[in-house]
Amino acid sequence: MSRPAILAARLRTAAWLGWQIEANWADPFTFIVYSAVRPLATALILAVMYRAVAGIASSGQAFLGFYVANAFHEYVIRVLVGMGWVIVEEREEFETLKFVYTSPIGMFTYLWGRSSVKFVQASLSLLLILTTGWLILGLRWDWGAVRWLPLLLSFVLGLIAIVYFGFFVAGWALVLPRAAISVNEGVAAALTLLCGVIFPIDLLPRAVQVVAMLLPFTWWYEALRRFLIGHGASARLSSFSDGALLAALAVSTALFSCVSVWGYGVLERRARQNGKLDQARLF
Amino acid sequence: MSPARADGRPGDLALNLRATWGRMYVRVVGSAREPTWIMSDAVFPALSMASFVLLYRALGAPRSFESLAVLGGIMATYWINVLWGMGAQLYWEKQSGQLQLYFIAPCSRMSILTGMALGGIFMTTTRAIFSIAVGFGLLGVRVAPFALAPLLLVFVVTMTALYGLGMTLASLFLLYGREAWHVCNALQEPVFFLSGLYFPLRALGALGAVAAGIVPLGLGVDAMRQVILGPAARGWLPVRVEVAILAVLAVVFLILARASLRYLEALSKREGRLTQRWQ
Repeated sequence: MSRPAILAARLRTAAWLGWQIEANWADPFTFIVYSAVRPLATALILAVMYRAVAGIASSGQAFLGFYVANAFHEYVIRVLVGMGWVIVEEREEFETLKFVYTSPIGMFTYLWGRSSVKFVQASLSLLLILTTGWLILGLRWDWGAVRWLPLLLSFVLGLIAIVYFGFFVAGWALVLPRAAISVNEGVAAALTLLCGVIFPIDLLPRAVQVVAMLLPFTWWYEALRRFLIGHGASARLSSFSDGALLAALAVSTALFSCVSVWGYGVLERRARQNGKLDQARLF
Repeated sequence: MSPARADGRPGDLALNLRATWGRMYVRVVGSAREPTWIMSDAVFPALSMASFVLLYRALGAPRSFESLAVLGGIMATYWINVLWGMGAQLYWEKQSGQLQLYFIAPCSRMSILTGMALGGIFMTTTRAIFSIAVGFGLLGVRVAPFALAPLLLVFVVTMTALYGLGMTLASLFLLYGREAWHVCNALQEPVFFLSGLYFPLRALGALGAVAAGIVPLGLGVDAMRQVILGPAARGWLPVRVEVAILAVLAVVFLILARASLRYLEALSKREGRLTQRWQ
């Protein structure tokens, strides 16, 4: 077999295993309901918050951008955080991480394959949230004004950042037996706050804004808003031209990805040295 | 029910009180022993709360809505504890191979669950201090002076109802394997939504009324907001009515927990699922 064929076979196997682990505890209908209920509830919380203040808020028109970004945040919650959960499940719950390490698949390929199922789940959640917003909540935009090429480019760059940062989160989980659950959940909450998913980063303290602008996801959400609905959320980021915004997203993604791969290697080495690769402490 | 038997061994009441204290002690002492759990229990719910407060700020909403979101964020930590620290606790015990120890102990299972609940309330209250600091300190949310006694009364009744529900969930999950984990996951954000944690409960209309009759969190948050914020809380029902409903729910859940624990313990023993791991 050629190398691409081998890679494809390994990815397919990891994805199939991921699907079994994610879904085989329930019948398909229950699983679909289970998968849809959390993202939908989060979207509805935002929608009712907006409705509660719609008549009295002074800048309610900004809400559409927050709603759209929250829908795309599903990729961060499912894929990025999900890669940390893969380590928790494999090591702590099923105690099979050592078998993955002794197989020829390679951890990056394995994590990538496992995350592909989560990518599908996130995509379905995205569609569900946006469709609910469009049909039920009246959160609509002008399709004619959508700039497809930069939108697609932004989307792909963001996904690259998510997958690579996912490797880092997985590495982090390797050195933190038991505490990895906390780290996984914390990453999602911290990125929601730091990257201005449901509010403009202008509201953060100045020093925190600098940190936010180092993260590719901040640029990602702003680009998605700008190219999909026609305007961003942040006054500070609105001074960037489209090209500068994409360049910032691309550069931060490239840097972040390199740091993440390097970081994973360092963390994995430390986990090996400290005997934590196979240290089940949760159950 | 005497404090001690003739042979010197403790009576039923004393034994069960000891069991309650013993299970609570683990949580009280353990609450300060694992720094990473403090992070997850205290800091992360506060981060979500901060995002919701900043959303109101971004929308230009009146400041009283920010107070609503802070109070909701504080109460969210209790719901997380009810789900994961009560509902899923027996699942954790099963996975770590300790559940059978509960069943060979001579005390009542309810006394163990009561200890878990009291310890959980203590632990979560220590964590909630961080959310209070973030909300009222870092984010600058303000409330006018309010009466402490009614707030404590509402809090106690709410916690009894909420942890009564947690005890019922714990007994239900005796039968479950991995499903327990997924059910807890599925109940987190939907209950945040149906309880109006980040917006006035009455904004949900009839849906809020139905949800309030099932999960006591919404009524508890609404009553506490009314005590603290007054009319700015945009309350749903008068506080007295909400407290009365919560008291009824507390009694119902405690009775339900006792009955379901007996039934499901017997059922899971018959089906051989009481100590079944990795399922």
